[in-house]
Amino acid sequence: MTGAAPAARGWGDYPEVGGHYDEARDESRRLRPHWRDVLEAIAGFGPREAERRWQQGRRLLRENGVTYNVYGDPRGMNRPWELDPIPLVVPAQEWREIEAAIVQRAMLLNRIVADVYGPQQLLADGLLPPELVFGHPGFLRPCHGIVPPDGTFLHVYAADLARSQDGRWWVIADRTQAPAGAGYALENRAVLRRTLPDLFRDCRVRRHAAFFESYRAMLGGLAPHTDVPRVVLLTSGPYNETYFEHAYLARHLGIALVEGGDLLVRDQRLFLKTLTGLPRVDVVLRRQDDVFCDPLELYQESTLGVPGLVQAVRAGNVAVANALGSGVTESAAWMAFLETLCPPLLGESLRMPSIATWWCGQEGPRQTVLDNLDRLVVKPTFPARGGEPIFGAQLDGDGRAALAARIASRPDEFVAQEQVSLSVAPVWQDGGLAPRRVTMRVYAVASGDRYKVLPGGLTRVSHSDDGLVVSMQSGGGSKDTWVLGDDGRDAAVVRRAEERVPSVRRGDAALPSRVADNLFWLGRYLERVDFQTRAGRRLLIAIADDPAAAGQSLPAAAVVLPALGVTGKAGGRSLDATERTVIATLFDRSVETSLRSTAASLHRVAWLTRDRLSLDAWRVLSRLSAQLDGSGDAQPPRLAVAIERLDQAVVTIASFSGMVREAMPRGFGWVFLEAGRRIERGLATVELLRSVVHPRRDDEAAVFDAVLDIVASTMTYRSRYQAPVHAALVIDLLLLDDSHPRSVAYQLRRIAAAVERLPQRADSPGDGVARAVARPSARIQIADLDELVAWDAAGRRAHLEALLQQIDSDLRTLSDTLTRVFLTHAVPLVAW
Amino acid sequence: MRFSVTHTTTYAYVATASLSQMKVHLRPRECERQTVIAHVLDVDPAPERIGVRQDYFGNSVSFVTIQEPHQVLHVRARSEVVVHAPAAPAPTPALEEVRDHVRNDRRAACLEAYQFVFSSPRVQRSEALAAYARGSFPAGRPLLEAARELTHRIHDDFVYERGATDVATPVAEAFARRHGVCQDFAHVMVGCLRSLGLPARYVSGYLHTRRGAPRPPWVGADESHAWVSVYALGAGWVDFDPTNDVMVGEEHVTVGWGRDYGDVAPLRGVTIGGGEHTMDVTVDCEPVAVAPAVVTS
Repeated sequence: MTGAAPAARGWGDYPEVGGHYDEARDESRRLRPHWRDVLEAIAGFGPREAERRWQQGRRLLRENGVTYNVYGDPRGMNRPWELDPIPLVVPAQEWREIEAAIVQRAMLLNRIVADVYGPQQLLADGLLPPELVFGHPGFLRPCHGIVPPDGTFLHVYAADLARSQDGRWWVIADRTQAPAGAGYALENRAVLRRTLPDLFRDCRVRRHAAFFESYRAMLGGLAPHTDVPRVVLLTSGPYNETYFEHAYLARHLGIALVEGGDLLVRDQRLFLKTLTGLPRVDVVLRRQDDVFCDPLELYQESTLGVPGLVQAVRAGNVAVANALGSGVTESAAWMAFLETLCPPLLGESLRMPSIATWWCGQEGPRQTVLDNLDRLVVKPTFPARGGEPIFGAQLDGDGRAALAARIASRPDEFVAQEQVSLSVAPVWQDGGLAPRRVTMRVYAVASGDRYKVLPGGLTRVSHSDDGLVVSMQSGGGSKDTWVLGDDGRDAAVVRRAEERVPSVRRGDAALPSRVADNLFWLGRYLERVDFQTRAGRRLLIAIADDPAAAGQSLPAAAVVLPALGVTGKAGGRSLDATERTVIATLFDRSVETSLRSTAASLHRVAWLTRDRLSLDAWRVLSRLSAQLDGSGDAQPPRLAVAIERLDQAVVTIASFSGMVREAMPRGFGWVFLEAGRRIERGLATVELLRSVVHPRRDDEAAVFDAVLDIVASTMTYRSRYQAPVHAALVIDLLLLDDSHPRSVAYQLRRIAAAVERLPQRADSPGDGVARAVARPSARIQIADLDELVAWDAAGRRAHLEALLQQIDSDLRTLSDTLTRVFLTHAVPLVAW
Repeated sequence: MRFSVTHTTTYAYVATASLSQMKVHLRPRECERQTVIAHVLDVDPAPERIGVRQDYFGNSVSFVTIQEPHQVLHVRARSEVVVHAPAAPAPTPALEEVRDHVRNDRRAACLEAYQFVFSSPRVQRSEALAAYARGSFPAGRPLLEAARELTHRIHDDFVYERGATDVATPVAEAFARRHGVCQDFAHVMVGCLRSLGLPARYVSGYLHTRRGAPRPPWVGADESHAWVSVYALGAGWVDFDPTNDVMVGEEHVTVGWGRDYGDVAPLRGVTIGGGEHTMDVTVDCEPVAVAPAVVTS
């Protein structure tokens, strides 16, 4: 969401927007009837209430981690999603026309794609220029002749619509490859339903649920040979611009999110690589471009693909949506021909026009383009071969002449379109309404031999009031789209769907190995962050409480300095210097082992496992980042503020940890999360103990008191001993006592219990997992406390030091062994 | 003439590969001037399956999957073919006529040819290629004569140089540097013809060179060879070998054709594991005596 609302202004400052259709107001500047409820309600909030709601919306977006990756953005990946708090309102009657037009267009394009990959009759009949097929890099010859289930090539279709000054809607782009954005539309809706709940209900806004129910049913219905299909969403991974959406959509549709490396083709069948073996995959919802899907038959250099996928599809063993090759109709040039193609293919005329388009490969249109360069947008016919849209109006005479020469020499490669004068809708800006240009992306999914349209869609907003281009990549925002006229029909569809009870399934045997790996590291980083937060807090409190604040000696808690990433001779510094160094280091992302860096790693791994985390858990984790970063000051915080932040963070971490553990079914995913946590907690405790057992110190009691606090064992110690802190008792509690949830012995017991649930690996007997688990446990079991705490002649606790060193090494070996045996999924493909 | 061709490829991996999948274009194509008597594809270790189909261009393509762990992979294709010298080409029309005709005629043969006019992954049309080619195509000159001269010019202007390029070298680079192997020669000529608007195919095959012949031995005899085919309307497709500056005759064995090397690469594969590999290829293309040799598997 954008802007703040110091004082809500109404239409007072709203500028006149000549030359554009005004979505909200008619020619006499009166509100259009279908906007009245929404805008009057918002005006009625008053500045305070409006601001409260928008803040809530912004917080939801941030906490839900709604992001859009912008390539080459200096702010890094994962730019926050921009949502305007005012929806775009579309009345019921108008929507019915849009809906019918989208259904028709999806059917038309589907027929065209079917012909291109089949008889190519449209070429022979001269209805379609062969150049648009044969010259298209997206015409995938290996896919020719493959007939998908029911002859459906386009299972999902989207169109970008714009409204011209006279109020008519036009299609400005067709999306047939792997249409993006429906997940963002869902998220926008989720946020607006929270910020404008009464209004949403009172306006009778049509719901999304029925559409996504059709979506789910459509995917399931594609499975070639089974009634209980396994459906996956194939993503190119976290670096894709819309990865957030892939994860969100996968979760919403209840299907697994996978990358090419998670899949494998054998015997012309597709399988998912999991911890337990290779379950078969029946349907792939494809969100990566088709050319990257199979390095054997398509783009060879692709590292994202699944070798053999085209063969599996050809054999009819797996369905891919949209069909491989369906990107062939994504070119502005095609829009010049849909009007002519519609009557012969569908027996009716095109319901909604395409924006006026001239393909320069034809002589007449080429002349029109050359004569009107100053008012047209010239685009490459095949953007995949390079080139950007050129706005003729922005060129001078020489520029236009040069462009005309290029068009004349390679006419096929250029297409020109009229420059659209987009309609404007009000957005919330600086506490008032401001006009912005909008386009609307509308989605359809196949349903039988027709299509179902999402009532609503993703409305995109230009980033300034004179922007020529509306695109998320160039920094625009978005709106929820409210289609009025809910009459309960959608709800009935959802109810009917809910009445069908799927068969019971338990466990997560189909956990991709890659996800298990990420969960393992999620566990490890979670514990590390917890440990570092507690250690930092204890140290800062000790500094704050030091009775000799001006004193030169460091508090006992300074033993944690190395664990906090504080390097160098911190011990030799003054207390003030230590305080500054510690605070600066804790919150410094550039120090690799700092709390802030560990928290960033935690966030990154959590991002990779998003589809396994509940939204609430994700929101808690987002809060942790916010707490550690504070208000984003460049200066490190003062002592009291730093303590306050760590204090909050400790609670947040506990909350996240609890949510993850409570919500996750006790399957293999949980085993790896648990193993990761326990190994890291064991390592942290061992590390802490090692830092205090040598060299011998005079303030041993104070040091062990700090240790107890850092590993959250003070209460346990006090309730058990009601005595001052004694080293031997602390060592017993933290190392040997397997009834204490913070002890090393307890971690080992839990690791053993977790690992026991893992499948036997038939392909690697004697893999060493059992041994790696048993070894440190045995050492703890046979350890003798008296021996451990005794001082030897050299003034050392040599037995204890040796044991700690061995257990540290054992835990690292265990981590490596688990990885090697269960998680070596990442064997690279070599293409030649 | 009748030839026996043995094409052997050996891949050696430094580590064990757990799975290899291959797409193989090794079966000589049945066509007007060529009959395939026998063809056997041997793969060691024995593949789980070999699937054979016709690709989009009508070539025979085999898909081979090896699912057992292996460190060495042998692929041997043995073929026996009868090749006839092409009929003396009919008089050919000029560039302009062919170009305009394929652009406007929607009958099957012309559509089939027209698809070879466009840029393809390895051969992008360009003004530079067109400018080079134009020297051989003055207005009205018969296509055959012009293409023959272009073949000659490429042969003279380009240096045959092994190792200077690889299968991924784009045509623009080979063209700019005026060197390469037979693939590059063929790509350059295909690019020249297409940049003028002519349909041109990349042809993959083998070449027999007679030992002790009066002329120096041809280049490309001990490996896969490649040349060019251009569409001349009524005269059909006519083949030229720019690497050796000849019209293609009865010593060129055709395996298949496509838009460029990528469509008809003899072997293309993906391996899981295995790491680095070395590849060794030998091709033996010998005439067969009177009695046909028996090829068994």
